[in-house]
Amino acid sequence: MAVERAAGGSSLIDVLDRVLDKGIVIDAWVRVSLVGIDLITVEARVVVASIDTYLKYSEAVGQSVPVARPALESRPYDELAAENQKLRAELSSAGGARRPVARRRRSGV
Amino acid sequence: MAKKTTKTKERRIVKRPAPAAKVAAKAPREKVAARRVDESQAVTDSARGKYVYCVIQSADSLKFGAAGIGDNGTEIHTVHYRDLAAVVSDVPLGVLDSTRENVLAHERVNEIVMRDHTVIPMSFGTIFKTRDDIVQLLRSAYDAFGDVLSKMRDKMEFGLKVLWDRDSIVKDIEDEDEGIHRLKNEIALQKGSTYFARMQYGRAIDAALQSRSERYGSEILDRLRDVAVASRINKPIGDKMIMNAAFLVSRDQEAAFDARVKSIAAEHDKLTFKYTGPWPPYNFVNIRLKLERV
Repeated sequence: MAVERAAGGSSLIDVLDRVLDKGIVIDAWVRVSLVGIDLITVEARVVVASIDTYLKYSEAVGQSVPVARPALESRPYDELAAENQKLRAELSSAGGARRPVARRRRSGV
Repeated sequence: MAKKTTKTKERRIVKRPAPAAKVAAKAPREKVAARRVDESQAVTDSARGKYVYCVIQSADSLKFGAAGIGDNGTEIHTVHYRDLAAVVSDVPLGVLDSTRENVLAHERVNEIVMRDHTVIPMSFGTIFKTRDDIVQLLRSAYDAFGDVLSKMRDKMEFGLKVLWDRDSIVKDIEDEDEGIHRLKNEIALQKGSTYFARMQYGRAIDAALQSRSERYGSEILDRLRDVAVASRINKPIGDKMIMNAAFLVSRDQEAAFDARVKSIAAEHDKLTFKYTGPWPPYNFVNIRLKLERV
């Protein structure tokens, strides 16, 4: 598709995505203090707590794309599926059908 | 205990001007400070503070027109310490609501200043009580700001979001991936419960979508590598977005970056590109400020 560049300020979502917690950031409660108190009278001053710049080029996007289940969950899921299959096999055997567990499962599925 | 505090806060909101109450509720531990805001608002209702938009390098006092936050567009001027300047405008002293107008005005001023200067953008809503407080901040962070400004010199941020039409990609995958194609037919033909086949199908589709989106992502990143200084990958928003990236680009490579983005977009008719900028380098600078006892 053809794409045109849109000016930064043209999308409120893109603006909010940036201005609320990026750049030079002061905690909300410090902000309240700043407008409310004379820093000199309470003998406080604003200082830099931390400073980071990000000047690397990203290597891959893989880790952050959540189109699939997170990798961590897939293993227990497979185990569950296997267990489920085993239970079903037990269920279909004549002996299992009379157990209360089997009844509960039948109504549940 | 914590709950009790919140309740008291909520009850108090009624008597309070809304903006102050909102922030105070978010920061219950700063009760004292919050209360003082009320007092100062009551006593000096017309008191003015200074809203800070960004920090730039300039020893000369500058004006950027009447584009500031406020009803009639307040005059944008600078507050200096040595060769650093904070770009500010006068606002009523109080907590500023993040309304559409205010947020867009914050961004608008940054974009105006950016035309001729390298900026370190301030996050939205920072108001200092006096000019001296700002000078004091510039002084105490002088080295840090200077260092960041030199790293960001003549660089701009661009945003690139890439979206796809999930359903049409799923159709492609079903056509192209033999295993998935077979699974789908099995489900269609199978008698009785198709639960496991469907589960298997779902997982196979998920995995195929994941690897396809990664492939698109790395390909786009690779194509932009030589025309950008740095990139940051943010979390995609919603399940249609496969890439949410920001790029830091040198001013002299802007045209090349622009052309590259357009040619990438032209090659991918199944993807939608949302390309924005130039932005102040929000995604590439993070400076946290705190209060400290002297």
